[in-house]
Amino acid sequence: MTKLFIVPQRRIGLPSGIWTRRLWLALGAAVAGIILSTLLQMSVYSQPRLPLAGGETTVQNRTSRAYEQPAPNLDNYWSDRHAVGDLAFEAAFVTAPAKVNPGLGPLFNGTSCTGCHIKNGRGMPEKGQRVIRASQLLTAASSQNSSPASSTGDLSGDSLSSSQFPTDSYTVETIAPGENAQPVPGIGTQIQEQGVYGYAPEAVIQVDWQEQQGTYGDGSSYKLRSPQLQLARFNGQPLPTGLLLSNRIPPPVFGAGLLEAVPEANILQQADPDDLDRDGISGRPNRVWDVVEQAEVLGRFGWKASSPTLLQQSAAAYRNDMGVTNPLFSATDGKPDIDLGILKAAAIYVQTLGVPAQTQLDSPAVQRGEQLFMDANCAACHRIELPTGQHEIPALVNQTIYAYTDLLLHDMGSGLADNRPDFQATGNEWRTPPLWGIGLAQTVLPYSSYLHDGRARSLAEAILWHGGEAESAKERFRTLPADDRAALIQFLQSL
Amino acid sequence: MKNRLKIWVGIGTCALVNTGTALAITGATTEQPTMYGTGAESGLMAQANTCRAVAVTGGGEGEDEIPSGEGGEGGEGGEGGEGGEGGEGGEGGSSTTSPTDSPTDSPTVFLPPDQRFSDRQIITDFVDKLIVPNYQFLTQQSGELSVAITAFTQSPTDTTLKAARQAWLATRSPWEQSEAFAFGPAASLGLDAELDDWPLNEADVQAVLDSQDVLTPDYIDNLQTSQKGFHAIGFLLFGTDNDKALADFTPRDSAYLEAIAPVFDQTANDLLKSWVTGIDSYPAYREEFVNAGEGSSTYPTIQAAGAEIVQGILGILDELGNVKIGEALDSQNPFLLEGRFSQSSLQDFQNNLLSAQNAYLGDFPAGNTDGRGLSDFVAAVNPALDTQIRQQMQAAQVALNAIQPPIERSLCDPTMQPQIAAAQESILDLFTTFEQQVLPLVQQ
Repeated sequence: MTKLFIVPQRRIGLPSGIWTRRLWLALGAAVAGIILSTLLQMSVYSQPRLPLAGGETTVQNRTSRAYEQPAPNLDNYWSDRHAVGDLAFEAAFVTAPAKVNPGLGPLFNGTSCTGCHIKNGRGMPEKGQRVIRASQLLTAASSQNSSPASSTGDLSGDSLSSSQFPTDSYTVETIAPGENAQPVPGIGTQIQEQGVYGYAPEAVIQVDWQEQQGTYGDGSSYKLRSPQLQLARFNGQPLPTGLLLSNRIPPPVFGAGLLEAVPEANILQQADPDDLDRDGISGRPNRVWDVVEQAEVLGRFGWKASSPTLLQQSAAAYRNDMGVTNPLFSATDGKPDIDLGILKAAAIYVQTLGVPAQTQLDSPAVQRGEQLFMDANCAACHRIELPTGQHEIPALVNQTIYAYTDLLLHDMGSGLADNRPDFQATGNEWRTPPLWGIGLAQTVLPYSSYLHDGRARSLAEAILWHGGEAESAKERFRTLPADDRAALIQFLQSL
Repeated sequence: MKNRLKIWVGIGTCALVNTGTALAITGATTEQPTMYGTGAESGLMAQANTCRAVAVTGGGEGEDEIPSGEGGEGGEGGEGGEGGEGGEGGEGGSSTTSPTDSPTDSPTVFLPPDQRFSDRQIITDFVDKLIVPNYQFLTQQSGELSVAITAFTQSPTDTTLKAARQAWLATRSPWEQSEAFAFGPAASLGLDAELDDWPLNEADVQAVLDSQDVLTPDYIDNLQTSQKGFHAIGFLLFGTDNDKALADFTPRDSAYLEAIAPVFDQTANDLLKSWVTGIDSYPAYREEFVNAGEGSSTYPTIQAAGAEIVQGILGILDELGNVKIGEALDSQNPFLLEGRFSQSSLQDFQNNLLSAQNAYLGDFPAGNTDGRGLSDFVAAVNPALDTQIRQQMQAAQVALNAIQPPIERSLCDPTMQPQIAAAQESILDLFTTFEQQVLPLVQQ
């Protein structure tokens, strides 16, 4: 109980005169903690309690189904809504007309929510799961110059001749006011890699993994890989110049409801856009377009925090990833493929999922790893604790959560940059992804990988890719002795 | 999904509480409560109370208005009786201190450390005596299916057609028996979807049949998952209602069948390999699982692997009781039965139940294996619980067998409703036992 949470003390320089008072405070707190923990221990539990990563939504589950559990604190009403939402989240769409789930496409990346977010976990960097965002450099858009497409035809596969695709249409994703992603002619702002019969995918993508070597401080070496994208159009049309691409894997979806419920003020409080405190770490909120409110609001979701709410995130995924029109992002011909009820059901399913509890708290390596995590200042961005405030789902209200994110944008250096701005996010910036449940990533989905494009095959590789504002934290890790590096990884695995 | 269990418990209360809202919003469709009919849903499923095949959009129902949180909270009181969510109403049993996985009022025995789940043999046998033999049997059947399809397309007679259909059903059995352990590479490498995506993309399958495209295995391989796999082969072999006559087969049907069979067989073999040797340069998943607690990066303890077995059993019982049977029964919509083309959904249900049983016992009867199973652990620490589980499994089997096949027809037979509902209930009873009693034992 005493190690229920290890909450980091903010490292603030204090005048030496108050050290005595701090000592007494600490002693008092310790005594109070012991009394409190004894009282709590005496209640129902015979087993030691685990950190409640998601507050009252926390589930004790370290299996492949850990991300698929409903929050245990849902009342009957919301349990039922969760169950209904589960069906919506699993529903695979097919080409209309159909008896069950018509509305797919005509162009799409995946056919169901779970098709990409398999078992609610992070998807693989493969066709059918990844999504590649595209945009056109403003300067290039005005020029009519085009470069020849690379190896067109070679990539299209012998059995998929372009004659099979009479139409030459493409999906024009909805562009929100203020969005700085200029659509690419013939592609839009996202590459749909699949089409229903008769519709050519917008492009065929080949990913080549480029390996590079690095060396730890102790002299041992490691390998990193990064994806090189090659695009070809089915119709043989050349690709425009100034094409900006951002290759992204689906993130895990549990816990997102809690992040939605964090009061904006608590997020902004940590922001330091101009690094006024000169700690080398900025933290900038993204400001994005809310299509329901018709206003610019704080962005929270997605790799660049370009989506403000889970409803809008779900609606955009239906529309752009599956080609399923809905009340928020409707078709030009008017009638949406799904109604607001189904759209909301899918969003509610995500909002009402439980968060897996941390494990292996008794492990000395995990404890050591946590200390190293703090020492390396990882928590400056991977902010450990956040409060939630109000939300229409009572189970999410007023929780203390341990998500390990500040929901802010940070410059992560040129190595990770996609160079594609997204609302206020620059080409170098990414939103700090939550780390809760990250130790289960490969239990839920073996061989799944980390970072926005899935380039990191292990947590160590993910850390080693950190740069920019995280350069010194990365260097700290890189120069640790092997045992300490292993301990830090073991701590992450315990989350 | 397990929370859907509570729906049956609380449905009366909720219906009472919410009748006003329900009437207001769903209008005339409330003669009988739908499964999720706790009030305000107005989606397509809710309109389907008469037994008929009804088109469904986007996974069923939702609602257009989100009522305030208070709207649906009336049902709480109905819970205690069934122990649907242990801890509620217990002393200090707020959900803060009561993880659903270990309800405080469960009759779970507290185990001394030396009796806790630590038997590596159970974990090893789960792979070597169940998962691998099951997938081996699947590949044997998928190979025979491929041969039977070729025999039929080369010499289409009633006899070869019957043999091909039998081979499809025989392949379906080990697949449905494997659903209690669909974790690992089956999910992440997309093999599950390749083999068994549902629903079939009938429009695109028809478009391919109507086209001039040359149908080769490579061509099929590039199609969407909903155009290949079990349901595509089933559609081609059986027609939409197990009613395709020999004379109805076109040369295009045969070409599609010939091209799809080797692709399907290859995927089944990939699934087996992903566990035993590894595919696509990924290591064999067998090692991750059997080394739980000893170097496995995915299962830090043996208990975690034990919990995986229980979660797999829970997963298939939930899917079977609440979705496969529950959804179709509540909406009275045979379109939601996955084995509709071959009218073999009931066979799927029986094999799913068998899958849960095999996972519990650690055996694969079709392959004559007899491993050390979870049941051996349960029998050692709580023999009464083991007996109870075996009885409940037997009861669920009897209840399923009491349904008149094909369920695609009996679903809409009013006299068969009690049998179908009883089968569902017996499966959910089993689910409750595993959730409330077995899982806490393994996790201790």
